[in-house]
Amino acid sequence: MSTTWHVPEDDLRAYTAGELTAPRLWSADTHLAACADCRALLARLADPVALDAGWERLDAELDAPRRGFVESLMVRVGVADHTARLLTATPVLRRSWLAAVAAVLLMTVQATATVSPGRSPTLFLALAPLLPLAGVALSYGPVLDPTYEMGVVSPLHGFRLLLIRTVAVLTVGLGLNGLATLALPDYGLRALAWLLPALALTATGLALTPRLGPVVAPVLVGGAWIGLLLTADASGDGTLAPFTAAGQGVAGAVAALGAGLLYLVRDRFDTSTVRFTDFRQGGAG
Amino acid sequence: MTVTVSASGLTLRYGGTAALDEVTLRLTEGVTGLLGPNGAGKTTLLRVLATAVPPDRGAFSVLGHDPSTTAGRQNVRRALGYLPQNPGFHPDFTAFEFVDYVAILKEMTDRGARHREVRRILDAVDLSEVRGRRIKRLSGGMRQRVALAAALVGDPGFLVLDEPTVGLDPEQRMRFRELIAQAGEGRTVLLSTHQTEDVAMLCHRVIVMAQGRLRFEGTPAELTAQAAGRVWSSAERDPAARAGWRTGLGTFRNVGDPPEGADLLEPTLEDGYLLTLDDASAEVAA
Repeated sequence: MSTTWHVPEDDLRAYTAGELTAPRLWSADTHLAACADCRALLARLADPVALDAGWERLDAELDAPRRGFVESLMVRVGVADHTARLLTATPVLRRSWLAAVAAVLLMTVQATATVSPGRSPTLFLALAPLLPLAGVALSYGPVLDPTYEMGVVSPLHGFRLLLIRTVAVLTVGLGLNGLATLALPDYGLRALAWLLPALALTATGLALTPRLGPVVAPVLVGGAWIGLLLTADASGDGTLAPFTAAGQGVAGAVAALGAGLLYLVRDRFDTSTVRFTDFRQGGAG
Repeated sequence: MTVTVSASGLTLRYGGTAALDEVTLRLTEGVTGLLGPNGAGKTTLLRVLATAVPPDRGAFSVLGHDPSTTAGRQNVRRALGYLPQNPGFHPDFTAFEFVDYVAILKEMTDRGARHREVRRILDAVDLSEVRGRRIKRLSGGMRQRVALAAALVGDPGFLVLDEPTVGLDPEQRMRFRELIAQAGEGRTVLLSTHQTEDVAMLCHRVIVMAQGRLRFEGTPAELTAQAAGRVWSSAERDPAARAGWRTGLGTFRNVGDPPEGADLLEPTLEDGYLLTLDDASAEVAA
């Protein structure tokens, strides 16, 4: 295409700096696509340093990891990019785990509604606190985190990583529990009696982890909860003790105590909970 | 040479066994090899030096930092690159995402700078072509290079590598050795291995451990020299030898205390290593 008009040099300079505005930008775009002379002039005018930086930015964007749906959402609501990345590596925040938790809740809600309609949602209340405990226990530690050992020796304090993940898992876990509670409207506020026990179990389980290990601590705490419910069930009728007003008070106090204890032992999360590794070739190499 | 990492009296017990028994050592810049049989305490020593587990007794310092305090431990970790014996991966991550994740654990919070560093490291270990591929679709050798990249990200001054060449085929092993040799320039590298060839080809210093204790510390030539005059050839296996095997030439190569007039052979690093271990177990038996 031959033309007598060319993009003025000042416009080309502004174009290379990314400062040319519409409608001149549109004219320049259209013309540059057709005019080799102007493209040559543009190449001469372009600042090579800025051009290299531009290529590098483009290169960086092209192979930067794509954010998944949840990660994008977290960044959008203000979670720092690196924190969102740490959270995506949390095993229990993966879709398969969440689906499993949701399925368990759904079945429990259904069973609760059919077995004892209108009376006490005991089955649901007994199970709901265990799910956040399990989620938090599984999200930190060598059991499910394949990079646990690398994480332990990283400068990011172990307790900080633990808190980041705990908050995330608790938010999701309590959120799912909350949704399940909405499915039991007949019981009113009574159906929310799982919340304080859930916090109490999670805080106690975590606080005992440095001493008892990442498997024994949550199992023991979960077992104690079930034991307590069975004892309460055997010793009286009506609402089980943990779900009465007094029981709720105790659960709140245990949650606060557990959180305090957890804070006191925070430095213990800074070294591995696995004292010895017994690897494939045997022996404590 | 300046001592960069030093340890004295490191002891760690497990039940009745001492996995580490009064280990004292000094490391300098360059690659130091750590040899020893299974259960010798190599991995335990590396985990202690990498601050994964604290020792029961003893002290150590890394590049001037004392890991017995919280702040000191933090500083050691900032200077540390660690490749564990069984490096775990999030299999759904790509190579880029995984190294990026480890870079975040190493406190690199600026996204642009971090991604530049991840690209630089993946280039350095020859993985730029597959950086977008999921780790579960990479070969064993490539995964091991991803783990090395994760250890190297952030340019640490002290690199701890726990048997990184296990399970690699000879070609991959050669490539990996090149990478470790490069990594050893201007850095302190402690390389645990079963392969005496790794030590012969890469290391300026070598440590031998057995039963939780240090049995030898010196240069590879000095370890080889442990077997000087203690390797000989014979037509039949010499019953006096501590170890003996038929070579491809049909004669027997014996190591131990040779009889008088024996046909002495030039010792190798492997001979020196075997005899050091043998002397160690003889000492324990006595």
